[in-house]
Amino acid sequence: MTKYIIKRLIGMIPTLFIIVTLSFFIVRIAPGGPFDGERALPEAVKRNIEAKYHMDETLLMQYGRYMFDVVRGDLGPSYKYKDYDVNTLIGVSLPNSIVLGSFAMVVALIFGISLGTLAAVKQNTILDYFPMILASFGLSIPLFVFAPLLQQIFCMWLGWFPTTGWFMNNNAPLRTAVLPTIALSFAYYADIARLTRSSMVETLRSDYIRTARAKGMKNSTIVFKHAMKGAMLPVVSYLGPAFAGILTGSIVVEQVFLVPGLGKFFVQSSFNRDYTLIVGVVIVYSAILIIMNFIVDIVYAFLDPRISYK
Amino acid sequence: MAIFKKKEIAKNEFDQVIVGTSLTKEAWKRLKKNRLAVVGGVIVIIYAIIALCADLLPIYPYDEAITVHRNLRPSLTKTAGDLMLEQEMKNMFFQAWRQGRLELSDQEDAQIEAWVKASKTNDVWDLVYARGMEAIEDGSFEWNSSEQSRIDRMLNQIATETQITVNRVSVQYEGQTRNIEAMDYEELRDLYASLLGVETDVLEESLYNEVRSSVGNEVRANDSTLSGDDLEAAIDMEMNALGEAGIHDRASTNVIGYIEQLALRGANSDVQALIDSGSIELPYEGTFDLSNGLHVELEVSLMHQRRYICGTDYLGRDLLSRIIYGSQISIAIGIVGTVTSIFIGILVGALAGYLGGKVDYYLMRFVDIMYGLPYMLLVIICMAIFGRNIINLFFALALVSWLTIARMVRGQIMSLKNQEYVEAARSMGASTMHIIFRHMIPNSLSIIIVYSTIRIPAFIMQESFLSFLGLGVQAPYASWGSLIGDAVSSMALYPYKLIIPSIVMVVFLFSMNFFGDGLRDAFDPQSKNQL
Amino acid sequence: MSSFKDKEILLEVKDLRTYFKTDNGILKAVDGVSFVVHEGETVGLVGESGCGKSVTNLSIMRLVPSPPGKIVGGEVIYRGTDIMKLSEKELRGIRGNKISMIFQDPMTSLNPYLRISTQMIETIRLHQDMTKAQARERAITMLKLVGIPSAETRIDCYPHQFSGGMRQRVMIAMALSCNADLLIADEPTTALDVTIQAQILELIKKISAELKTAVILITHDLGVVAGMCDKVCVMYAGRIVESALTDELYSNPAHPYTRGLIASVPKMDGNREERLFSIEGQPPNVIDLPPCCPFHPRCDRTCEVCRHAYPPVKQIGEDHYVACWLNCSEEERQEAMNGGDK
Repeated sequence: MTKYIIKRLIGMIPTLFIIVTLSFFIVRIAPGGPFDGERALPEAVKRNIEAKYHMDETLLMQYGRYMFDVVRGDLGPSYKYKDYDVNTLIGVSLPNSIVLGSFAMVVALIFGISLGTLAAVKQNTILDYFPMILASFGLSIPLFVFAPLLQQIFCMWLGWFPTTGWFMNNNAPLRTAVLPTIALSFAYYADIARLTRSSMVETLRSDYIRTARAKGMKNSTIVFKHAMKGAMLPVVSYLGPAFAGILTGSIVVEQVFLVPGLGKFFVQSSFNRDYTLIVGVVIVYSAILIIMNFIVDIVYAFLDPRISYK
Repeated sequence: MAIFKKKEIAKNEFDQVIVGTSLTKEAWKRLKKNRLAVVGGVIVIIYAIIALCADLLPIYPYDEAITVHRNLRPSLTKTAGDLMLEQEMKNMFFQAWRQGRLELSDQEDAQIEAWVKASKTNDVWDLVYARGMEAIEDGSFEWNSSEQSRIDRMLNQIATETQITVNRVSVQYEGQTRNIEAMDYEELRDLYASLLGVETDVLEESLYNEVRSSVGNEVRANDSTLSGDDLEAAIDMEMNALGEAGIHDRASTNVIGYIEQLALRGANSDVQALIDSGSIELPYEGTFDLSNGLHVELEVSLMHQRRYICGTDYLGRDLLSRIIYGSQISIAIGIVGTVTSIFIGILVGALAGYLGGKVDYYLMRFVDIMYGLPYMLLVIICMAIFGRNIINLFFALALVSWLTIARMVRGQIMSLKNQEYVEAARSMGASTMHIIFRHMIPNSLSIIIVYSTIRIPAFIMQESFLSFLGLGVQAPYASWGSLIGDAVSSMALYPYKLIIPSIVMVVFLFSMNFFGDGLRDAFDPQSKNQL
Repeated sequence: MSSFKDKEILLEVKDLRTYFKTDNGILKAVDGVSFVVHEGETVGLVGESGCGKSVTNLSIMRLVPSPPGKIVGGEVIYRGTDIMKLSEKELRGIRGNKISMIFQDPMTSLNPYLRISTQMIETIRLHQDMTKAQARERAITMLKLVGIPSAETRIDCYPHQFSGGMRQRVMIAMALSCNADLLIADEPTTALDVTIQAQILELIKKISAELKTAVILITHDLGVVAGMCDKVCVMYAGRIVESALTDELYSNPAHPYTRGLIASVPKMDGNREERLFSIEGQPPNVIDLPPCCPFHPRCDRTCEVCRHAYPPVKQIGEDHYVACWLNCSEEERQEAMNGGDK
């Protein structure tokens, strides 16, 4: 097992490396450098600035320098937010995004798995239809429709929640987290519930569940002890893509509910061509994603004894 | 003469009917039984028909902005004029209430104060309007003279103001009659220069500057903190990103607008004369030949008689028309993008699956790594950097969405590879390509098609997601995502702008999902376990 | 061979009917099956695939997946109580405790995600008042009994670490770990290699004798039945067409189907020039079957009445019952023909 973990850890490096390289070059070959237009500047000053950001070196040297910095954990200065470096900007906003993302994931998992299992066990009853109808709403309503609608209904019309704000800043109440979490988790609740239901239904039809029934076990024991582990496997392997979706989804939610997270910087830096910030944010997002995928793989291996660790 | 010969029914020894079971036939039977899927399919087809026939529908042009019709609420019965007047009266009633001329109960006063504090403007307006109209009825309130004259002026405006819409401008150009919309940048530039009687170079320079200044406005709108050199630098970067083709595109759009205005001005006096003479009935369609060689088709209508059943947006454009044209773009991107990704996916998947070995290993490793990428982020970067237009959007999306199809096709091909008929084809000397494209892909096609149907909603969602962020479809075009994105900032005041496009989009996605699920369950009943 | 006659009746199946609802109509998988199992007796249930033998036994345990399946009639009396009328809780007390089952495919019948120890201990503790350690001790004893080498360590393995034959041994150990009175073995050897098959059958025979367990052995292999069973029931299209003590059945088969089955067992000492015997045709589709003998299209001695009515069950010897028109008198046939015309 340890060997397997180490192997997977080492396997993460090339992916991360490719991401850094890819985003670096996409950004650098793009038309228009960050200082191209500063023609009002005297030539000497311009050269000074370029030297400060090492823009006067060859692309390859810049790449090497950047890679070296990234390995050291330094993502460089921001081109647009002068006086800030990327590390600071990310450091301030990342915790908010992580908290929001984790809330959403936990909510999606709890409701998705429990309601999905319920639907599978109580097939073709109201307890099956209701979660599944809810899930098909979650599947068909895009996040950027759902989030504003939630805001419209619960903030504007009903006035139950504050329109914007985030509980980790300015002493805002914890309930500011409720709507963003619901909005972000809804689509993933839908996927997880559907997946859980179908895989639970299939597992409950399998031979070893029949064996357990023939042994005279209680239905609840069969579901939780015998079927759960096998039924959870597809859900676990779905979690990787789900994390990726939650990352991108949080961009929308942060924009709609004005959560001061990483998403805001990402969209803004894309508009501003703040190259170091773009690459920095992509690296952070990718690192989170890769680590999550790694954890998912390990959990999968723990659940399924048939996985060989070689 | 056995035209109506009954289909022979095969029976076995027990008098039981033997039914031939074609897989496709069975699948269709299963699909027809699934009511939700059928309803979904019908709705999808209705959407497709409406989107395809958008040009033929009696709707206002999606990019025609009538400034005085800004932000009108949806109404089935009231014309734009009625709504404008109503809005004006709401404002005046509110002023009157402020001045104490419109008297309400204490309770209502307190209610209005509370609403004002919570910035629930619509509630305030509705209440004062309702009370105000009642007060006018029972004679306890009267407009003062300046208000009355405003109302009269408005009524007059509503009754007389006409809107002249240019449907088509054509010109004799190099011996041919050409529609100016179909001309390219150089032709348009030369035509316009000759119409104005200026040098081509001078015109070109001023066109460039116009584009630049409009880009400058966009940059300022996105980031208001920029100024001075930073602003200039940012604008230069955007211009570079647009490239020559992009600049020419925007310049062409501008020139077409100018020529239409020119034509309008040229025809204006004739039209006015016609209207004044009372010899025509509005709405009126007619064609005019102008002295400068332009040939213009016009439509004259009473501007304020328009009805906006879905309301208008912040520029006074008809929301219904924008939604329909937006559907056109969203559905087209969904379908074309899916087809492209299927094509790439089939190619990669078939090669990997059939050739196997090293090719398979490296292709699949590549796919694995791509899977690990946060690809929506890469798409966002590409859109931000290489320019925000539909073509780029569509490429960026297609480039990352073939992965799943490639994996699926590979799996299919791997399982088909070892079947006898492929062996047989190979033993008869068929080439690899022949076997892949003649034998294997047709055999996995039904499943591929089914899964692509399921992909279309996802594709539409991604496009709309980007458009929502402002990185996708750009004005004057619309897509579901950009309509919703535009509405979010003003949803407290104008909730209809958010709700109507949302409903349109969600209904489509719903139908598409049900239809896709139905197709999958019918054609591939084993695979219920996949997303 | 009639020694079991004196023993107490353990299980009596009376006119059991299990139907499945399908898109094309109602599938009568089991349509009026009756038989008796005495204590310690081994009963064979023989027939082609799809004739309803597995469904019969799932019905006895009320394990038929519902929907689409439904037990629509009949009684299954275990030691005087009708299993069909028990509550879910009472039923659980019988399943695995008094009557236990082993299934066709040992590869899928054990839970791949749980250790053998977990699965065995939970079964034992479910029905017997034991501590975990005692249950584990019992499980190891059982594993040793079925011939698992170094059972003390192997018990903590996962099912995928065992071979097919070993897994079936584990299944047997698990099924018998609560001293069940009746073991239902549903084609226990079909999924195994031929060499392993013999071992497993031998094991079932040995253990059932040792623990005095009655066995219902479901198989399509008459050769297996000959070596194992005291009594045989032959099933065709959801009904039992012939039942008799094993020796009687072999020496004196009365139903043409039984005769065909016996003839189609390859004989090692037979003439190699001779073609292998097989019954022509397919078993019928049991959806909307008209009233007739379902075997008549494949029968070599068919007559008019076979096409019009199902034959009644006749006793033709001690413990020998058969449902075939050949064993009926002319009047009975005539009556059935007239009845069919009405």
